Amino acid sequence: MKMFKKLVSLGLGMTLSMGMLAGCGSSEEAKSDSVASDAPKQEAQADAAGGKTYNGVDVSEHVDLTMYLIGERTPDFDEVYGKINEILEEKLNCSINVEFLSWGEHDTKYSMLFSSQEDFDLIFTASSWCHYEQTVALGGFYEMTPEFIQTYAPNIWEVVPEMAWDQAKIDGKIYMVPNYQNEFGQDVIAVRGDLMEKYGYKDITSWDELKNFYMDVAANEENMFACGGGPTYQYWQAQGLTTTSGTPKGGELILYNTQDPSDLSFTYVMDWDGFLDYCKQAKEMLDAGCWSQDVLSSTDERQVGLLSGKSAAMVWNLGSCMNYAKQANAEHPEWKVTLCDPVSAQDKKVNSYINNGVAINLSSENPERAMMVLNEFYTNPEVNDLTRIGIEGKHWEAVGDDQYKVLDAMSGYGVDSNCNWGWTNCTIKREEYIEDRTELNDRHDAILENWNANVKAEHPYDGFNFNTEPVTTQVAAVDAVVATYYGPLTNGVVEDVDASFNEFKDMLEAAGIRDIIAELEKQAAEHVAAN
Amino acid sequence: MKKKSGIRGFFKKLYKYRIFLLMLMPAIIYTLVFAYYPMTGIVLAFKKYKYAGGIWGSPWNGLNNFKFFFQSGQAGLVTRNTVLYNVLFIIVNTVLQIAVAVFLTEIKNKSFRKISQSLMFLPYFISWVIVGVMAFNILSADYGFMNRLIESLGGERISFYTTPKIWPLILTFFNVWKGIGYGSVMYLAAIMGIDTSMYEAAAIDGANVFQRIFKITIPSIMPTTIILFLMSIGGIFKGNFDMFYNLIGNNGLLYNYTDVIDTLTFRALITNSDYGMSAAIGLFQSVLCFITVLVANKLVGLYDKDYTLF
Repeated sequence: MKMFKKLVSLGLGMTLSMGMLAGCGSSEEAKSDSVASDAPKQEAQADAAGGKTYNGVDVSEHVDLTMYLIGERTPDFDEVYGKINEILEEKLNCSINVEFLSWGEHDTKYSMLFSSQEDFDLIFTASSWCHYEQTVALGGFYEMTPEFIQTYAPNIWEVVPEMAWDQAKIDGKIYMVPNYQNEFGQDVIAVRGDLMEKYGYKDITSWDELKNFYMDVAANEENMFACGGGPTYQYWQAQGLTTTSGTPKGGELILYNTQDPSDLSFTYVMDWDGFLDYCKQAKEMLDAGCWSQDVLSSTDERQVGLLSGKSAAMVWNLGSCMNYAKQANAEHPEWKVTLCDPVSAQDKKVNSYINNGVAINLSSENPERAMMVLNEFYTNPEVNDLTRIGIEGKHWEAVGDDQYKVLDAMSGYGVDSNCNWGWTNCTIKREEYIEDRTELNDRHDAILENWNANVKAEHPYDGFNFNTEPVTTQVAAVDAVVATYYGPLTNGVVEDVDASFNEFKDMLEAAGIRDIIAELEKQAAEHVAAN
Repeated sequence: MKKKSGIRGFFKKLYKYRIFLLMLMPAIIYTLVFAYYPMTGIVLAFKKYKYAGGIWGSPWNGLNNFKFFFQSGQAGLVTRNTVLYNVLFIIVNTVLQIAVAVFLTEIKNKSFRKISQSLMFLPYFISWVIVGVMAFNILSADYGFMNRLIESLGGERISFYTTPKIWPLILTFFNVWKGIGYGSVMYLAAIMGIDTSMYEAAAIDGANVFQRIFKITIPSIMPTTIILFLMSIGGIFKGNFDMFYNLIGNNGLLYNYTDVIDTLTFRALITNSDYGMSAAIGLFQSVLCFITVLVANKLVGLYDKDYTLF
């Protein structure tokens, strides 16, 4: 018996150790990679008289750079970047190798790249949705001083407006090159035109119309939901409110009135009667069947309901809604999917420029050359077109100087599908030329035109980013409790709204939300004073 | 023979058992490198981590990394959930796995035995991610298999994903379903190791099948059972993250009944990736597990010294 006991424990030990060994395999590859790219790093041979220069800076030493992007490698990606490397070799005496962090894993792996001291130079980043503030807080990015940018990327310095640099500043220091374009952060709905007609809606332009339409669909359509979940954003946007960047839960707990630049107060949702009112309406809508009881557990992407005919509308930004509306109409012309802006009354906020950008790794061996590469990506139309829409003649053909027409091979690369968003530059961006315009195209352009004509005034907080550093404990505690109540409340899946609301409020108080608000007010005041 | 003491004796023994010690070497090195060396990373629990400073160069942070966990007001709830779920899983799994092992050995038809064993083993290879999707398709309120079934039998739909109370049952079911084949192998092996002459003697004495099981099989596999039990006790403060995260996901409505330490920590720290705080929670769990193992081992030792782990 004793003998057997030993055997069993030995066997168990072996199984466990095998598992651990297997887990280590993948990191080896990454290691050997970093050794290889160390090799070309030799002393600069600056004395070479005819040495290559770029904007007056010596680039006679050849270097290989690595860049991390978010998403998946498209089939033609390597071919396109091969072309880009030809240009870089010639102008900058360097080449760039691109690695991808997939959508599913970037949340966890992004910070791992820094903590494991991976050898790379450039990385895509973005405020709040792609780790900008967190990585700066942990000291992962190389600081870009104005002199640094002017020396190594003079063309970027010329193009990017000062406001964009200001937005990128954390504690007065710049860590990313923000993209430059007027991108609207406004969500719209792609909605079934046939159903709108059936229930007598010409357009959906306000919260009441939106809610009524949802209720009509829920009440009358068999086996169909109105949408994928509680329209929280539409509710508070209709009141001029927007999220405060950098605060817990993507800023949804603390709002400010973005429509009125003179209003410097913050609205903490739990102190705001409007939020309680919204939660009650959400419950009313859920009970009516506007969205599924399973809303919190469903992993369906936003477009699935609309495309499969299971829901009447989807909510997303204008570009995505347009894409899926097109797809839905192509498959089911009788649906007449169209676009509506449920908060038409409000002037539109242009996304902050740091919503996409590129940063340099603090431990990069060649931050200067990385910056020069970025300068090419950002301001050389040839490279910029390559990254955005692929190879001319294969993926697209030019229509005039500033338009392009998509060719069949585009499916292998895709327009704006290769995480090229960090160096979008509206001064050299080619627009798509559309041959057969549909009603949907007109609708899309009309909405966009209307937005461009009604850009709202800049609010002092629009470029503000909350730095969580002084209140990390409270933020972690708030993040820990928020999911327990927030999702159920905003989607109406609670039995008693008032009780849950009050419980949530108490939990947040205990977790230290007041400390966060106090710190936020302090930082916001400093921000306003500094600008 | 009198025991030789002192350094000379030690070296003599070292020389005498050199072959055995050499054979032990890989295991020792392995343990040192993969278990003891990484343990120095525990300091991270007391540091304010910065990329530039790394584990050793970052400034000290006292006990601040532990604060968020208790300040969230959920510490008691999730610790309770974690322990209760693990106790439930350990009991149900042990009982059912032994039962399955015993049944399998009692089945005389060999091919039937092999097939049923393989079928029970299969779920072990399915990832929790897939199990999560399967569960959603079975339990969904709108088009789930369960609700279709209930409706066709004339019943009322049940909205599983908004009914927290039934989740301990569902979680236990999936946990058992996924682990039963794999877990019972250990017991099967133990049963195979039982001396068959005992069964022959029992048969001659006229023992029936129940007497055979309860008087011979179960007592004979007790040591294995206790070792496995002690090993699972070692993880009693660690929630099975894969399972809870994939079955529950972001459904906050269910958290009061399903949130465990690991999922809470994940949610709290995924957005700001604070390594210090994650390390602090890991340490908190490990210390509690360590104490539990020591106590359990001691208690087992009181019952029978032979059954203890160390």
